[in-house]
Amino acid sequence: MKLRGSTRRRRSALPTGRGIISDSELHRPRVRWTLRLIHGVTLILLLIIGLGPLLWLAKSSITPTQDTIRTPMSLWPHGFDLGTFARAWSQTHIDRYFLNTVWIAVGSWFVQILVATTGGYALSVLRPRFARVLTALVLATLFVPSIVLLVPLYLTIVDVPFLHMKLINSFWAVWLPAGASAFNVLLMKRFFDNLPREVFEAAQVDGAGPFRLFWSIVVPMSRPIIGVVSVFAVIGQWKDYLWPLLVLPDPNNQPLSVRLPTLQPTTQLDVFLAALAIATLIPIVLFLVFQRMFLKGGDLSGAVKG
Amino acid sequence: MAAKPYGRFKGLAMVAVAIVAASACSSATSTPTASTAAAGSANPSSSASTVSHKPVTISVGVLRPGATQEATDALNLQISEFEAKYPWVTVEPQEYNWTAPTFTAALAAGTLPDVFTIPFTDGKGLIQQHQIVNIDSRVRALPYIDKFNKSILANGQDDKGAIWAVPYQAYGMSLTYNRTLFKQAGLDPDKAPTTWDEVKADAKIIADKIHVAGFAEMATQNTGGWQLTVMTYALGGRMEKVGDDGKVIATLDNAATKAGLQWLHSVRWDDNSMGSTFDYNWNSINQAFAAGQIGMFTGGSDLYTAMVQNNNLNPADYGVTIIPLASDPNAGVLGGGTLAAVNVVTTDAQRDAAVNWIDFYWMNKLLTQEGAVADAQALKANNQAVGVPTLPLFDKATYDQVQVWIKDYVNVPTNQMTPFTSKIFDQKPINEPTKNTQDLYAALDPVLQAVLTDKNANIDTLLSAANKQVQTILDKG
Amino acid sequence: MSSPAVRTVAAVGERTRRRPRIRVSRDGLSTLAFLLPMLLIFGLFSWFPIVRSLIMSVQETNLVSTPTFVGLDNFARVVADPLFGKAVSNTAYFALLALIIGYPIPLVLAVVMSETRRFKGLYSALAYLPVVVPPVVSVLLWQFFFNASPTGVFNTMLGWVGLGPLPWLQDSGTAMPSIVLEATWAGAGGTVIIYLAALLSVPRELYDAAEVDGASIWQKIWHVTLPQLRGVLFITLILQLIATSQLFTEPFLFTGGGPANATLTVLLLIYHYAFQNSLGGDYGMAAALSIMLAAFLGVFTAVYFRLTRSWSTTS
Repeated sequence: MKLRGSTRRRRSALPTGRGIISDSELHRPRVRWTLRLIHGVTLILLLIIGLGPLLWLAKSSITPTQDTIRTPMSLWPHGFDLGTFARAWSQTHIDRYFLNTVWIAVGSWFVQILVATTGGYALSVLRPRFARVLTALVLATLFVPSIVLLVPLYLTIVDVPFLHMKLINSFWAVWLPAGASAFNVLLMKRFFDNLPREVFEAAQVDGAGPFRLFWSIVVPMSRPIIGVVSVFAVIGQWKDYLWPLLVLPDPNNQPLSVRLPTLQPTTQLDVFLAALAIATLIPIVLFLVFQRMFLKGGDLSGAVKG
Repeated sequence: MAAKPYGRFKGLAMVAVAIVAASACSSATSTPTASTAAAGSANPSSSASTVSHKPVTISVGVLRPGATQEATDALNLQISEFEAKYPWVTVEPQEYNWTAPTFTAALAAGTLPDVFTIPFTDGKGLIQQHQIVNIDSRVRALPYIDKFNKSILANGQDDKGAIWAVPYQAYGMSLTYNRTLFKQAGLDPDKAPTTWDEVKADAKIIADKIHVAGFAEMATQNTGGWQLTVMTYALGGRMEKVGDDGKVIATLDNAATKAGLQWLHSVRWDDNSMGSTFDYNWNSINQAFAAGQIGMFTGGSDLYTAMVQNNNLNPADYGVTIIPLASDPNAGVLGGGTLAAVNVVTTDAQRDAAVNWIDFYWMNKLLTQEGAVADAQALKANNQAVGVPTLPLFDKATYDQVQVWIKDYVNVPTNQMTPFTSKIFDQKPINEPTKNTQDLYAALDPVLQAVLTDKNANIDTLLSAANKQVQTILDKG
Repeated sequence: MSSPAVRTVAAVGERTRRRPRIRVSRDGLSTLAFLLPMLLIFGLFSWFPIVRSLIMSVQETNLVSTPTFVGLDNFARVVADPLFGKAVSNTAYFALLALIIGYPIPLVLAVVMSETRRFKGLYSALAYLPVVVPPVVSVLLWQFFFNASPTGVFNTMLGWVGLGPLPWLQDSGTAMPSIVLEATWAGAGGTVIIYLAALLSVPRELYDAAEVDGASIWQKIWHVTLPQLRGVLFITLILQLIATSQLFTEPFLFTGGGPANATLTVLLLIYHYAFQNSLGGDYGMAAALSIMLAAFLGVFTAVYFRLTRSWSTTS
């Protein structure tokens, strides 16, 4: 018993190994088969519920409109139409909106990373006298729901105070406010806090100034956290709806998320579904490629226990 | 959000665009009307003006997003025609589309073009807030200004009668019906229903036989209140009334509206002939109609263009007739339209050029043979609809004259539209409620939605609550 | 914090703190340079708007005339608006439904998934896939599914099992639950991943110890897993409540607030106040309502943390 316990303790840090159900319980056929049944059912349900709608979208995007309306659940009773994607691309100019979405995502990613890394660096490493006050102010914005900002931020975009600029209808209206993410700043700051100070000391002894320290030491060491923040920044921007709807009144500047609902009434159903499919493709591909980063981002246990 | 002006705009924008292209093909000599349209400025003579004008650029909001290449080409032709006539003016076309939320945003952002369009319902409000330019003196110089139908022109005038915006299209409401579905249900498509009882009966036949909505009604984005007002007018009621002291009183709970809602309730719940979708707006009802899912619905008389352009309508399906009117002397048909206005952020020279443009682009085709023919030619050449029925802006004689001029170019099935065109002029046109119109429509949307989705909806309670709500808004001024 | 390495870092940290701050940066200017992006962005687009929001809530603002001070008038008008009560009750209704449907499901799913020996990645990917789909696409897709005619997608599926067609979004009784269904589909995956990570960090010794005491599987879940998860469960609960109270995109795109205001949420009402009127919105009322919502959430969160502080375990 004791031996097993000590072995377990060493292995308990790893995610593999036993869960709630112990190995010995698994040897009991009733437990094993019930578990297999549950897993099987769950897998099937996940496939149907999680994947089903997307598979339907894929199928229907190459189904002629009338078939989709009359018998939506049938599989190509009158053949399929691969031309819908081409038509979606050219007719609805989806390439333009797609590019807008990409530009918006890239720009806001850049602003977010810039603000978070420089701000976090200053608060954590450089530590000016008023670092505490600043951190508290940044933290405070975390507790303000974004809705409070909606109207005054909109008015700010229309006429930026002190600078009297008009940001509305330009991508800056989406890029700049995206940077004001307390979550990003605090995440970075915390990461920097946990970096070993000896490295900084060593670098300073070698004559590195704050910029050099930032660029050559801190940033390279922060790749994982920058990666996490980046992924969430891009995905978050890709999904954003209300804000781009408000500040990008010119349809030419609108991202996919804002444009698709407006396209719906004037587009044939099959072309529209093809457009929806195209719009979903990139996030899904990104997800499948960067899966690990997404799924790790859910680790709140550190936040709770630490 | 009011989708309806969006819709009206769509149809006539296409017409306008085609006219633009057509005019380009015609000779460049300016007619007397066009030349005097260079109003406000010193020189009323023809294009080769002898007085030098400083170069000026104006942006015009004509094309909506998603315009076809043909439409764009047509517009560019028209612009070059205009610039030939007014060489000191450069016109920059700008994509434009009126919807309630985006208009405010664009106004705040200053991204509106120099010349833009607004629905009748918003004219007075914008005038009151001085958000468009008073172009009275410039417009008064146009020779045809007295020919305008007075009640239509009133939509663009302030309390003192000064003109701030020019109406360039007007339409009346109609009952649109699907001729093919009628035939399939055994009804005669040339004998469209003429009373509300007939509409109810025909709807039931279609619903029972073909299992689609026999009758449908728009109910979201302010279109519900709009159509309910149409029905109210048709039954002799009014939504607003002006007291002797000038105070506007909400009369949403009038007997006609109640009767209309009861009629709808009966068609929906007793007959079950309204199908299963009750959240239509202007766009989605057109889409559903073109897809053959609706037998009849009330809407604008100019929907043909939009449905053919955007919704793949089979022309043979389209039928339109007048809205049945009760035998009440107050019964009439609701009319609407679109105004052309000038942005406040413009210089005097730009304002002059703007009025020139309004005259050239929108008015010309309604008044001169050249303009009308050129427009019709261009429309036809670009596969757009020619001859879609509208309401006359001036008098009937002028309207009829234009119809004669473009006779050879008409490519819409006008015989399918005669139930409307032959009788609309006998109907009494009534303007939309004048004060806080969109708010009124918005307050009525939930009432209509409740009646259509809740069998036990209490019409009286709903209407009096809505009435109170609108009265509060009206009182606020 | 007992290992030698940690002690050294702590000591170093001490020494760094005791040093004069100016040592770390050559000059205050470079610190300012690093702080500038954050200060500018937060200042212009976060702090300033927050303050402005407070100011606007006591002013009458439209974009045409200069704002005038009106005291608490905006707040009074919001509360007097019959739509306000409807929006609040709808939002609460949605939060409740989302809690009932959307809170236990990810937990059950996560527990099941944590017990798989193989295919863990597949399960996670499948569960998370709907989260990756842009919300607009989800809503537009599901809107089509919710078609209320007998040939609508969901109604066809109901027909397979002999159930009659449902009105889905076309009826005030079923509209909100329909939205909850879609919202759960789109959001559950994120919560599942969070729970999974938490489940996997439950110390195995606890299970061993429970087994020594003769605990069955259910007892282990009830007495070990759930208490260990308490912290995460409490946090996701409050996060979910905060998120659901700010529901906008779904009711906006699905129903526009209908039918008959059955899906009008607080956020949708704020949007209506500010942006719906083509002649200019009432920004004062919009600001007032946002502040009210923020205040409510703040108080709610504070009370919530107070109450749960004594309940959540910390180790």
